Amino acid sequence: MWKATVKGLLAHKLRLALTALAIVLGVMFVSGTLVLTDTLHSTFTTLFDNVYQNVNFEVRGKAAFTGSAGTAVRNPIAESIAARVRSVPGVQYADGSVSGYAQFVAPNGKAVTTGGAPTIGVSFEPNPQLSSLHLRQGKAPTTPHQVVVDAGTADKYHFAVGDQVRILLAGPPQTFTVCGIAQFGTANDLAGATIAAFDLPTAQQLFNRVGLYDAIDVLAAPGVDQNQLQRAIARVLPPGVEVVTGQTVANEQSGSINQALSFFSTALLVFAFISLFVGGFTIFNTFSIIVGQRTRELALLRILGASRRQVFRSVLGEAAIVGLVASLVGLGLGVLAALGLKALLDAFGLTIPYGPLVFQAHTVVAALVVGIGVTVVSAVSPARRAVRIAPIAAIAETQATEDRSSNRRIVIGSALAVLGVVLLAFGLTKPAIQLVGIGAIGIFLGAGMLAPLVARPAASALGRPLARVLGISGRLGRENSMRSPRRTAQTSAALMVGLALVSTIAVFGASLSRSATASVDDAVSADYIVTNGATGAAGFSQSVAAAAGRVPGVTAVSSVYNGQFEFRGSVTNLAGVSPYRLSETVTLRMDSGTGAGALAAGDLLVDTTTATSKHLTVGTVVPVKFARTGDGTLRIGGIFKPNALLGSYLVGDQVFLSHFDQPLPVAVLIRSSQGASPSGEAAVKAGLSSYPSVKVQTQAEFKKTQQAQVNQLLGLVYVLLALAVLVALIGIVNTLMLSVFERTHEIGLLRAVGMRRRQVRSMIRSEAVILSVFGALIGVAIGTGLGVAFAASLKQQGITDIVVPFTSLVVFLVLAALLGLGAASWPARRAARLDVLAAIAAE
Amino acid sequence: MTLTGEASPDATASPSGPAARAVGLVKTYGASDTVVRALDGVDIAFERGHFTAVMGPSGSGKSTLMHCMAGLDTPTSGHVFVGDQEISTLDDSGLTRLRRDRIGFVFQSFNLVPTLTARENILLPADLAGRQVDPGWFDYLVEQLAIGDRLAHRPSELSGGQQQRVACARALIGRPDLIFADEPTGNLDSNASAELLAFLRRSVTEFGQTIAMVTHDPRGAAQADRVIFLADGNVVGDLAAPTAEAVLEQMKVLGN
Ligand SMILES: Nc1ncnc2c1ncn2[C@@H]1O[C@H](COP(=O)(O)OP(=O)(O)O)[C@@H](O)[C@H]1O
Ligand SMILES: [Mg+2]
Repeated sequence: MWKATVKGLLAHKLRLALTALAIVLGVMFVSGTLVLTDTLHSTFTTLFDNVYQNVNFEVRGKAAFTGSAGTAVRNPIAESIAARVRSVPGVQYADGSVSGYAQFVAPNGKAVTTGGAPTIGVSFEPNPQLSSLHLRQGKAPTTPHQVVVDAGTADKYHFAVGDQVRILLAGPPQTFTVCGIAQFGTANDLAGATIAAFDLPTAQQLFNRVGLYDAIDVLAAPGVDQNQLQRAIARVLPPGVEVVTGQTVANEQSGSINQALSFFSTALLVFAFISLFVGGFTIFNTFSIIVGQRTRELALLRILGASRRQVFRSVLGEAAIVGLVASLVGLGLGVLAALGLKALLDAFGLTIPYGPLVFQAHTVVAALVVGIGVTVVSAVSPARRAVRIAPIAAIAETQATEDRSSNRRIVIGSALAVLGVVLLAFGLTKPAIQLVGIGAIGIFLGAGMLAPLVARPAASALGRPLARVLGISGRLGRENSMRSPRRTAQTSAALMVGLALVSTIAVFGASLSRSATASVDDAVSADYIVTNGATGAAGFSQSVAAAAGRVPGVTAVSSVYNGQFEFRGSVTNLAGVSPYRLSETVTLRMDSGTGAGALAAGDLLVDTTTATSKHLTVGTVVPVKFARTGDGTLRIGGIFKPNALLGSYLVGDQVFLSHFDQPLPVAVLIRSSQGASPSGEAAVKAGLSSYPSVKVQTQAEFKKTQQAQVNQLLGLVYVLLALAVLVALIGIVNTLMLSVFERTHEIGLLRAVGMRRRQVRSMIRSEAVILSVFGALIGVAIGTGLGVAFAASLKQQGITDIVVPFTSLVVFLVLAALLGLGAASWPARRAARLDVLAAIAAE
Repeated sequence: MTLTGEASPDATASPSGPAARAVGLVKTYGASDTVVRALDGVDIAFERGHFTAVMGPSGSGKSTLMHCMAGLDTPTSGHVFVGDQEISTLDDSGLTRLRRDRIGFVFQSFNLVPTLTARENILLPADLAGRQVDPGWFDYLVEQLAIGDRLAHRPSELSGGQQQRVACARALIGRPDLIFADEPTGNLDSNASAELLAFLRRSVTEFGQTIAMVTHDPRGAAQADRVIFLADGNVVGDLAAPTAEAVLEQMKVLGN
């Protein structure tokens, strides 16, 4: 029996290759993601291990609380603690360090930006044993006007020792002289971050740390027992200060990066899974067709004594071999995909450091398990159909009619779809993303099972215009797509899933985009909005607001700050704005209490949603906690209608600044007597010319930027979904190919009675277009539903408008038709090239 | 073309010449040592308005001859003319048009496109050419072949005899120069065979249709104006105005 299976496979190499391709792509995605994330993981771990390699201990403030991003918020410690640490026997060397915001200005006057990595300033540690910065050129900074630049930035922007460089800081920008260029061990930069190193007193000055350190790094004397030394250091520390090992710090740092990485890897794996899911549809369909075509052969095997079990195993065995081959090829390509994904992310502005590729055993295991697993599972149902073939079928004149179990299909399909909808709805309200995913899978499977019911009338309707335009070839294409509704539905099911997801994203994205701009209208009354030009960057100098205030014609300026605090024991976001002439910059619709007045009085404002859910009223005094200032209370001074810009908790800028350590504004709102005019904009830009990192935009421009950001994100998701659509198209190619083989005789007859090659091609293409548009229609319908559901479930999170982008959806349908045409080109050519005589002779 | 013209002056024969003819037709299959000469230098002509039957033992090259003369297969050497058109010089597109516009086919089985109704199958060559058919002629054929009540049915809903009659209607609808029929009654019972043969005979007699038909049945051959006998790729006999007895006699002679 195995011999028959293997022989059968070898006899249909092309079929094997096409079928496997659907799985190859998914496996490639999975292994590529794993290789990429393992590589990044190892890069970052090595990086931080190197940085903290020589540091035995770090003395630092205890975490006041852990922010929602998982990073601890710590307070600086007093300078005097360093002396106490140095006095502990066994401590060879100890020195304090500080860090803060510092962004270079390139020689062309533009701010140096990173793809999301920090732009930081640090104090330069002169002891080379302790410092992770190693001077490649020049010398350490010793005066308030000197700076060491990291080699990555220096190389990229051609900074040389002796050059002048402007640096943007929390305070006003300053100009420094480059005194040295430094590397991190052998790396030019630290994971894409830019680093400016100043001498310690200068850094303390610049980062608002006079008399303070962020941390004290400690070197132990040789031969000292580390545990004892750690305990000895701990004994001399005041409350609120702790000592940890260098390794602990390295682990924390790489830990928080790896957490972000695992989110990234999960996101990619979701898309890989989608491709595999779509690939599963294709495998299922291919094996269904193959079993159908091999009815006689399988029945003959049964006559010759093959048991049901052997037939079942033969079909599954074929699937397993296909899966194995596909997994191995996919695994190999995955390594290339890892490089491709990296390039893709680069193209979308997410810079990621890169080390040698890491290829771990779990990648191989995952590739084989998902590749073989998906293939075999998808082939189970066709294999069961093969088992049901009666031996008599080998000699029977007519083949058994299909769709005997159509009642069962309806029941199971409807049940799956309904269950899917329920799970999805439940998952969305909870919210539980896994349930949403399982629900969506249920809906797709259900739709796939129910689709054959409408396939015939749908194909007939879709084919009518083709038949009218193309004449006989269109009519034959239409007939072909109608002759086996199940095959038509199964073939288009894969494309249905792909387009459903694309449409979901389109609806969701359009809603997000509209909501984002609507929220700007609702929240901002200012003429100009100043933000940091680079996405993902920290804020900008506090002095921007003052500079803007000096611009002629500017009547009101408000800095917007963002930070985290503990409200009744849970960490949440807090915004700060300047209450002075508030209504000219911010739209705050009060439900009760006062707005600007309460802010000026130092009260906390909350939005109505929060007030309702937490039972807060004006006058309530609530316990709060800040990282820097510790426990305290705030009085609720007013309750405002939800405002997407400001969030749920709002205080005046004075209160904010008193509780946060040198916070950077995330936005500055400006009202000008000239309104949003070109001359007004030019004036504001001129006034802020010494802050090249900021971007001045009118409200309209700001909205466009918001939309552009949403669109960029959508673009990334579309690219990732494109793979699933590609897999679906491979499925269509595969089905058409199998159909062409199956109809060899018929095509030969058509050619014999005078069908021209061009007409044969257009017949196959018509069928493909009908198939793909059918799948696309159902997909777009389901996707629109899903998108609306997602958007609606995120109303609280700020998606206030639900938009169905009809133009995009129509474009998808047209695109699907074109892709169908593309998918048909090879089978069509193949059909047109059939040797007429051989086709007629074929029995 | 010039070469053919010199080699065979008949190439420029007037339209009153044979509907199709072959000169020195050779068709071989396979490589050097296992080569099969399916046609071994056949010279043959199918006269216009005649019903010619082709007979011979299985494997004698009858189907190969039909295929080569109908532009379905390319001869190894020799020349084939349909009317005064040498078809070995035609490319695929030219051959396709030739088959569509000037030749009709009836095969032993699988004559009809399963997704099309009987009516659509009959109109298929005209549809492929984007041509209208003469409705009167269509109605006449349908009536003559007694398939009027079957026009809306698909092939799977028709009996074997009905399917072959639909195939005949399709072959005749375009009034082709020549119809090739390769064992059209091979799968039919004797009643259905007789009806089909009678119809083919009538179409020759009444509308001057030219037909070349392969058959194994002496009674079928007796309906023809002439019977050509093939054996091992050669023409070995030629019987004009045959009777069933004469055909049987000839078969016996050749069989020995
Ligand atoms: N495609 C082919 N390849 C090899 N040999 C062939 C092929 N077609 C026909 N033949 C051989 O050519 C000879 C004539 O075949 P054919 O014309 O089909 O005979 P008939 O129709 O008279 O039974 C036979 O010996 C047959 O085996
Ligand atoms: Mg034959």
